[in-house]
Amino acid sequence: MGNVTSAVLVLIERCGKGGFEPLSLQCLELGRRVAGELGAKLTATLLGREVRSAAEELRHYGVDGVGVAEHPALDAYNPEAWAAALLRVIHQLQPRLVLMGDTPTAADLAPRVAFALGAGLVTDCVNIEVDAGEPLFTKPIFSGNAMAVYASSTGVTLATLRSGSDDAAARREQAAGDITEVEVEIRPGQAPVECVESIWEEEDGVSLGQAAVVVSGGRGIGGAEGFALLSALARILGGAVGASKPAVDCGWITPAAQVGQTGTVVAPSLYIAVGISGAMQHLSGMLASKVIVAINKSPDAPIFGIADYGVTGKYEEVIPAFTDAIAQWRA
Amino acid sequence: VHIIVCVKQVPDPESSPARFVVDEQARRVEPRGVPPVLNPFDENALEAALRMKDVHGDGAAVTILTLGHKLSTNLMLKTLGAGGDRLVRIEDDAFAQGQLDVYATCLAIAAAVRKIGPYDLILVGEQAADSNDRQAGVGMAHVLGIPVVTMASNLELRDGALWADRRLANRRERVKCPLPAVVAVSSDGAGLRYPSLVQLKAARSKPAQIWNAQDIGFDAQSSDRRLALRRIYAPRPQQRDCVMIGAESGEQAGRMLAAKLREDGVL
Repeated sequence: MGNVTSAVLVLIERCGKGGFEPLSLQCLELGRRVAGELGAKLTATLLGREVRSAAEELRHYGVDGVGVAEHPALDAYNPEAWAAALLRVIHQLQPRLVLMGDTPTAADLAPRVAFALGAGLVTDCVNIEVDAGEPLFTKPIFSGNAMAVYASSTGVTLATLRSGSDDAAARREQAAGDITEVEVEIRPGQAPVECVESIWEEEDGVSLGQAAVVVSGGRGIGGAEGFALLSALARILGGAVGASKPAVDCGWITPAAQVGQTGTVVAPSLYIAVGISGAMQHLSGMLASKVIVAINKSPDAPIFGIADYGVTGKYEEVIPAFTDAIAQWRA
Repeated sequence: VHIIVCVKQVPDPESSPARFVVDEQARRVEPRGVPPVLNPFDENALEAALRMKDVHGDGAAVTILTLGHKLSTNLMLKTLGAGGDRLVRIEDDAFAQGQLDVYATCLAIAAAVRKIGPYDLILVGEQAADSNDRQAGVGMAHVLGIPVVTMASNLELRDGALWADRRLANRRERVKCPLPAVVAVSSDGAGLRYPSLVQLKAARSKPAQIWNAQDIGFDAQSSDRRLALRRIYAPRPQQRDCVMIGAESGEQAGRMLAAKLREDGVL
């Protein structure tokens, strides 16, 4: 490691529709900057059953190369198979840094690979900068109440990047970089953990982490009934319903809806915070939203300080009128 | 069956930001007047263990393992009151904030687990609310050389194996895993049950061990670290210029907000 061809490797995930995961493209953008500062190459990697055409497409995203590992066992994410494949890619390409989006897949994959390699791993990074040739990793700690900057002492380091930390890499007309095939050997039944049943989940509405619009409620909602109003608004906007931790703790909504540092981190184009005063824990999980609307009874609520639009008032009156107005001109 | 649940004491993440004092010089965060709570993610792990105990009764023993510095006795009693059978509390200056990175933490917990003795399952939360790390479960499994299931829920012990749902990107798998194993419990589950006053009182007579780093054979000085904290600073959330919608009534404000968002091209 540390040779002249040292690379920054970015794992590219694909979304259900077949395109690249937007967060993976954000990793690519950050990866390019970091690779430039390190004087390293930017290599993307794709794992899957058949990823050749996706790899061709990736050559339009400003990479110096694409490493592909193809195997039937890599079709959908499988912890043991993907970890084995990514390890092979890393052994062959010898990157100095391995970047991936802070996705559910990476939450499992990154530590498996890091520990197998004896590599440092920084999860949930919001930035990576290079100081005197050394990559430094910034991430929120203490529920977003502090930011920590870490250095890694291992030859290769893994990092997962939080959504919204960077712009997505743009597609270029020009394609560049070679495609390197990496042989992976995965024997079925090798893993101690055996899958006895696989249930593909029908997306129940829009998933919180991916939604373009999130309508969130907090303690100020006062009960489960209030969340029905938020659901109606979310439905009409094609968005998802979120919540602050206090609302979840009160049992008004499922824990899966929790937005924040201790829940799902979101960065939608529009975030509507209703009855949420704004603990850092929550703010830290939604600050990267493009437009933030806050509706709160109290004019002093800290949430107004980070919002683009604010309404002081009773949400029971504001939300139905807001919803109706949108419904009318959408009809 | 013997289930070890790892729980971490953290300053309450819901406390006001003003109470988290960031000492850039000392490179540490000093929570002022922030009550300690159980890491919310670990509460899910403890609840998952207690649900298995609900099924197996006295056939399942739950050991609470905690490692830290300046631990709250009341908080630890809460874990026993909720249904834990025994507490192993490892307290040492070597475990104060910032002393260990996540790798060294995994080594320390693994040392404690080995000292505790035979076990079938080690349960951890998905993530730590203070260090915001999401790798200790996989790390401990690696150090102990046993399998791990992450994002797990609906745990069941049957036929000498663990059965669990694991949540992956767009599907759910029912998996079977040999014992012993580490399980990182998903945070989608129900939170921890509330102990009654009677249970809390009874918790005081449950066995509790207090060890230090030396007792578990962990040498913090010579232990490897992979990450070094270089700098720490208070976040400066970018303040935005908030356009306040003033109106006579809530209904009017709702309509005006919609109109404004449409005018600005947001909707």
